[in-house]
Amino acid sequence: MRPWMAAATKACALVLLIALCVAILLGATAHTPSLELRPLAEFYLENCLNPYDKAKWAASPEAVTAMLWDYRGLDTVFETTVFFLAIIGSVALFRFAEVSLASYESKLRERREEGLSIIVRVVTRIVFVLIVALSAAIALHGHLTPGGGFQAGSIFAVAPLLAIAAFSRRFVEGLGLTKNSCLAIRTTGLLFIALVALIPLALALAGVGAFIIQNQSKPWTPEFPGYPAQLGPVWLAGSLILFNVAEFLTVGSGFTLLFLLLALPEDFFRRLVKR
Amino acid sequence: MMEYFAQALWIYMYAVLVAIVAVAIYGVVARPNIVKKIIALTILADTANTFMIFIGYRLGSTAPPVLTTLSPSRADIAGFVASAVDPVPQCLVITAIVINMAVTALLVFLAIQAYWLHRTLVAGLVSKLRG
Repeated sequence: MRPWMAAATKACALVLLIALCVAILLGATAHTPSLELRPLAEFYLENCLNPYDKAKWAASPEAVTAMLWDYRGLDTVFETTVFFLAIIGSVALFRFAEVSLASYESKLRERREEGLSIIVRVVTRIVFVLIVALSAAIALHGHLTPGGGFQAGSIFAVAPLLAIAAFSRRFVEGLGLTKNSCLAIRTTGLLFIALVALIPLALALAGVGAFIIQNQSKPWTPEFPGYPAQLGPVWLAGSLILFNVAEFLTVGSGFTLLFLLLALPEDFFRRLVKR
Repeated sequence: MMEYFAQALWIYMYAVLVAIVAVAIYGVVARPNIVKKIIALTILADTANTFMIFIGYRLGSTAPPVLTTLSPSRADIAGFVASAVDPVPQCLVITAIVINMAVTALLVFLAIQAYWLHRTLVAGLVSKLRG
């Protein structure tokens, strides 16, 4: 980088920072902390679980999940697409690793008992199960309590990361979380999201009144019954639980995949690059 | 008196956030090491998220935007609207965090590639070597 370019980038950063300060001083954030709720937020809070006005409700007591997968569900689908592309990009950078890794690994099979000390390994075994159980609970309760697919997936991904650190990458792959199975789980989750989102659209194309990512029945689409809000005593919140579980699979396996690739051994890379 | 105190506290929090943004931008622009650039970028993203959550707060709200009953009366809903914080920024931040993490991972992969191709993590040297 030439000196004048470095100076220019630093000047740009300074200008950006000063602009931010001036914007805040001039009130770009409006009155914070505000005393009243903004009208948009009021709409969501009022209608997310409003049995007296079912034209606008999302059948979920959790306003954030209701917005995320119902009111602005399309937005979230596109955000999932960004996530998909970032992971596909990472996998594409490592696309040659697969075949050469197999030959590399076969030479190292004799090594036994890897990982950190026995204390760490025993504790990790216990915590691993707890993390997985917690993430599943957060995914399945995402439409009732704070949480949802994104959070549960991120929490789940901590478990394989911990296992990679305490044991080894091969331990995680022994559990069935190999690169290919992670890709398969992730694709299944994405397909499921697409399916749930597109069923109402397919109905609309068939002549029934419905719209894409429709959750509950609306007065102007009386033919589409909506996804079931309740199944006996179990509250399902329509399509929200389906989206949450699918997003959990997508995010959890996507991050697991990234951690597996990041844990590839260093001298393996050295050989890969030398060829 | 209490209001002035709250306002002063709020200005202080904004000042801290702007200071963190300054440090993060400095890190991205001026540090030569790619890993340090990535760390600074995650700090910048997290500061932006904190900023959004700040904007969503309102004085006097005491509850997260989660209704605690599945068969609310009209009074329950009115009380919920009166006490909950703004859910819109929270909704934006949820996805932003996960996507930041994915983008950071992509950058880390690129850094690893750059290291194994060029044997250095200094941004200026990497661009000179022309792999």
